[in-house]
Amino acid sequence: MLSPEPMGDTPHLLLVDDERSIREPLAQFLTKQGFRVTQAGDAEGARMRMAAYAIDLVILDIMMPGEDGLSLCRHIRATGDTPVILLTAKTEETDRIVGLEIGADDYVVKPFSPRELTARIKVILRRAAAGGVRQHAPAAGSFAFAGWVLKSGERALVDHDGVSVPLSTGEYNLLHALVTRPRQVLTRDQLLDLTQGREAAAFDRAIDNQVSRLRRKIEEDPKNPELIKTVWGGGYTLAAEVTRL
Amino acid sequence: MRLRPRLWPRSLSGQMALVIAVALFVAQAINFALILQERQRARIEGTTGPVVGRIADAIERNAFGDPTRFDRGRVRSVGASPVAATGEHRHDIEQSLSAALGEAGIKTGRVETEVHRFVPDDFRLRYTGKERRERFRRAGGELLIAVERPGKDWLVLSVPWFGGNDWIFWRLIWQTVILYIVVLVPVLVAARQISKPLRTLALAARGFRPGGSVDALTEAGPQDVRDVIAAFNALRLRVTAMLDEKDRMLGAIGHDLRTPLAALRVRIESVEDDTDRLRMAETIAEMNRMLDDILSLARLGRPSEPLTEVDLAALVEAVVDDFLDLGEDVAFEERARLRMRLRPSLMRRALRNLIENALKYGSEVEVQVAELPDQVRIIVCDRGPGIPEDRLNEVFEAFTRLENSRNKDTGGIGLGLALARAIVREAGGDILLANRDGGGLTATITLRR
Repeated sequence: MLSPEPMGDTPHLLLVDDERSIREPLAQFLTKQGFRVTQAGDAEGARMRMAAYAIDLVILDIMMPGEDGLSLCRHIRATGDTPVILLTAKTEETDRIVGLEIGADDYVVKPFSPRELTARIKVILRRAAAGGVRQHAPAAGSFAFAGWVLKSGERALVDHDGVSVPLSTGEYNLLHALVTRPRQVLTRDQLLDLTQGREAAAFDRAIDNQVSRLRRKIEEDPKNPELIKTVWGGGYTLAAEVTRL
Repeated sequence: MRLRPRLWPRSLSGQMALVIAVALFVAQAINFALILQERQRARIEGTTGPVVGRIADAIERNAFGDPTRFDRGRVRSVGASPVAATGEHRHDIEQSLSAALGEAGIKTGRVETEVHRFVPDDFRLRYTGKERRERFRRAGGELLIAVERPGKDWLVLSVPWFGGNDWIFWRLIWQTVILYIVVLVPVLVAARQISKPLRTLALAARGFRPGGSVDALTEAGPQDVRDVIAAFNALRLRVTAMLDEKDRMLGAIGHDLRTPLAALRVRIESVEDDTDRLRMAETIAEMNRMLDDILSLARLGRPSEPLTEVDLAALVEAVVDDFLDLGEDVAFEERARLRMRLRPSLMRRALRNLIENALKYGSEVEVQVAELPDQVRIIVCDRGPGIPEDRLNEVFEAFTRLENSRNKDTGGIGLGLALARAIVREAGGDILLANRDGGGLTATITLRR
């Protein structure tokens, strides 16, 4: 069920959470899912284990006593390439916390479904194994293209007048995927892979629906799209220069 | 509230000014009534005194053989009273005169008077002496006095008669006007000194939002008003402190409840039965949503999200699209951009709650945006049981769920609508619920532009 594993052996995860009531059953669950799991109860323990083992992916709780998850994440990012998934508590500030320039690859909101977490871990590991460009899923920052600015911190699209044009979750994820890969052709499968997971039901048609809705919002003439172009053979591409702000 | 005459001013300075103006006017009127009475008395005395003297003199001269001549200006003796019955008589002078004549020992019968007013160049003045003519002309009239000597004759004479009292009313008015200016202007200034800080205070109290700016109000005006403002400032600090305390407490509770919930969510993965596990996951998700709602409601007074220029039409569409992506059926007609200044995430939340509510209890959910000159309406309507008229307001109370008319199976503690209304009110709008003809509910968010 696991697609080609990195280096052929069991992926080694480091699970960092101060709450034993979450950490231990989660470690158990992930082990059952075919991962090798090492646990740490705080940032210091995590640093030690990172040094001792070849860790493939870190699952990191943000709210920890002592050094918190954000700080540890920054450290991991500064010292290496190990992917990080953040565990966050859902607060009003969640989006902004996630939007911070911390370089995590993904995040899940507590209480999360362990199955969903597993799916995310697999996506990230597969991507890393494919040697693709490292993708920070909640990549922070703003992206300017064709008079628009996509602010990932606030998950908002802002036009040249400074008016924010709210996007549905699906539209945002889709646009974010396109904007972070300008002029690349992305197939429906790739787009599904890049945008799914956050909300449950994403299916093939949904991508097409979201693309046409996005076009209505950002294209001057939605019938004759200049920005999000359809590529023959199934796929879309963003035909615009993107500047990271 | 008591009914008041329409002219009663509502403001403090207006009421003070009116009361003082009325009091001043009454005082002035009493004052002038007294002055008028005094003047009247003086006039009667000023008239009767010389007349008595002249009559006594004439009688005396007559008694010594000096015949009473038919001469204007002097006392004449005539057979009958020349006073016409229809003329203007001065009974006050008649009375005072007969009393004075009696006192002087002159026996008299009837005393009659008549006022003649002169027109310019009156013929009656033609044959009198120059000096006398001038006196009469200045006075504007003469008073003809006829005194009966019983059994003998009538003694007749005339004295200058000063005309009406018009000038005295003009003086009353002038004095009053001057008094008003002298008294009312300082009173109004003083009243403003009090009412201006009071108005500022009322404005601050009305605009008080916990979490907003906590600049203390400047204490201004008289000491009493300063005390009130100081008390208000202290009250505001206490309210803010209490709300801070509440936020901290709820934040702690929220965090402490989420951790075991997250642990539980992980542990249920060991449940073998898929149906059971899914049910458990749903329950946990539901509890988490409740927790979210409680925390959002608690935090709402002090939102962390800034006001942003947002296309409201796109916001509504985005919320609807989220539902469409989840496979729900919500009708919405795309519309032109509608620029508004609000907190987008909170407004999305409010709208989402209304739509969720409509989907939960009704079908054929439809969302509309209506643009009016001074407001914008977002209308969410469904076809379903609606809500009994007398309970339409109740559903906004936190923790209310209408068990009898709506579905009992659903979870939730009825925070959705309370939260939605709190969000919309914080944005300066309101939500109204109404039953639809043919069944169903319409929820209308009204926002000022």
